[in-house]
Amino acid sequence: MFILKNKFNFIIAIAFLSSCSSMNVTEERVYSGDVKTVQALSSADDNIRYDSKAVFASATIYFEFDKSTLTSKSIQTLKSAVNALNENSSIQITLAGHADERGTREYNLALGQRRAETVSDYFVLNGISKNRITVKSFGEERPAVIGQDEMSYAKNRRVEIN
Amino acid sequence: MKKILFILAFSNTLTSELILEITQGTEDPYRVAILKFEGDQKVSNDIDKIIRNNLKRSGEFNLFANEDLLSLPTNETEVIFNDFKILNIDYLVIGKIVKDGISISVVYDIFDINKGKKIRTSTVYGIPNKNRQLGHYVSDGIYEEITGMKGISSTKILYVTENKNFNLMVADADGSNEQILLKSNDPIISPAWSPDSKKVAYVSFETGMAKVYIQDIATGERELAIENSSQISSPSWSPDGKFLSLTMYQDGNAEIYILNLKNRNLTRLTNHFSIDTESSWSPKGSKIMFTSGRSGSPQLYEIDLRRFNAKPKRITFDGNYNAKGSYLPNNEGFIFVHRENKNFQIAIKYFNENFIRPLTNAQLDESPSISPNGNVIVYAIKDDGMSLLAGVTLSGAKFRLPAKMGFVREPAWSGFLR
Repeated sequence: MFILKNKFNFIIAIAFLSSCSSMNVTEERVYSGDVKTVQALSSADDNIRYDSKAVFASATIYFEFDKSTLTSKSIQTLKSAVNALNENSSIQITLAGHADERGTREYNLALGQRRAETVSDYFVLNGISKNRITVKSFGEERPAVIGQDEMSYAKNRRVEIN
Repeated sequence: MKKILFILAFSNTLTSELILEITQGTEDPYRVAILKFEGDQKVSNDIDKIIRNNLKRSGEFNLFANEDLLSLPTNETEVIFNDFKILNIDYLVIGKIVKDGISISVVYDIFDINKGKKIRTSTVYGIPNKNRQLGHYVSDGIYEEITGMKGISSTKILYVTENKNFNLMVADADGSNEQILLKSNDPIISPAWSPDSKKVAYVSFETGMAKVYIQDIATGERELAIENSSQISSPSWSPDGKFLSLTMYQDGNAEIYILNLKNRNLTRLTNHFSIDTESSWSPKGSKIMFTSGRSGSPQLYEIDLRRFNAKPKRITFDGNYNAKGSYLPNNEGFIFVHRENKNFQIAIKYFNENFIRPLTNAQLDESPSISPNGNVIVYAIKDDGMSLLAGVTLSGAKFRLPAKMGFVREPAWSGFLR
């Protein structure tokens, strides 16, 4: 604040000087800009999602570019997941939506969420309780396949059911 | 001998993770002679290098040094204007380093050769062991005096690196002086500066779900912007620093809310079954721009905050992908990501024009962020499978900030720190 005030005075000084001699006189101090590093404590359960609870209902549903609608092939996969969920009422599932890397990261995060919500809606419509479902998105941040081609993109536009 | 070489190479990788490359300059640069400053030789050499790099990177200068010149004045009375005039030089800069105990300052003068007179004399008080900053302030002063636009060398850039782990980084605008703000095993996206540049907001997936955090740069203190079970993302500070707009997925769909940072009240801004996200404030805080899928493809919309229940107004019509918009600092237009055929590029649209102007032409350009003087846009590109930062000035100069290793993305430019 002190520096800002000072600077304001200098601006007045500059304006005054420039009106009589057209020369700028300035004076300023370097900003310190200290930085403290922080370590995030990860509580993400990325590691367990592929083994313990993945036995019955685990599946991956794929989508078209910028789309969150189910294809007939996806519906076949979802039907068997619904059966597995009906047979084992103790299973809780997580639906993680993903997008390919094209387009902006935040829009892709929202698109991944929309895809996961579409799958969630299918389960709920088919009698699965919403309480058993957790929905989230990783957008384009967790690609299944690295690569800048349509094959890779297609594998990354997905919802993982675990 | 070998040992010395090793140390040199090592220290180089420590101090400059990002290397500057200028790929294209402007057509009609200012011709400026900068003499080596008098005083402490080491400091003078360091500062000289920093000033030259900064001004060259703007693409707007053709610089001359001691060895190119006919006379080397050390003060105003020794300046022979004709010696510079016959070399077609427009401006001359001379200066000296003043050391007093541990305190250090630079005094410099700028001469307009064509007018034959001194046009500026400036003093910058430095901080011990931060000569780089001192150099940035001097080059910003030179830039401002000659172009009439404030310099941005003393500003900072936030970005995210991925190299096994994810780091949120802060560096000088030239990519040097890199420091880590946050280390994480999980993705970090959408960093945003508070208007006073003392805090950052960003999205971290460390809990397994996207959440917005606010972190104090100097103390490292951090907190969740909102504590609830929703996925939260895309933070943007209001220009007065009192509000944070963000995207919350409370009802399963991306909607934009405004968080009052003082009393933590939340106000819902959008209500539509399609995606609404990527909000950003106009320079005076009276409007918010955002990306919405309500037309069937991502397009940019504006909401006037001064009007009660104002309807979003669509502002992009070219093509079927226009996203992540942000206003120019002078409010004359906005920058955004635009898809042309299959390519994602950075584009600008002025409010008084009915067409868009593409600024880049690669395939996967994203995350544009404009400098506080409104002259340079930094963005992320993909090149040969790597991601790195690049920049383009509105006068047409282009540059790249390639990383030596890992991926660099999500740049965000600070405000003025001076």
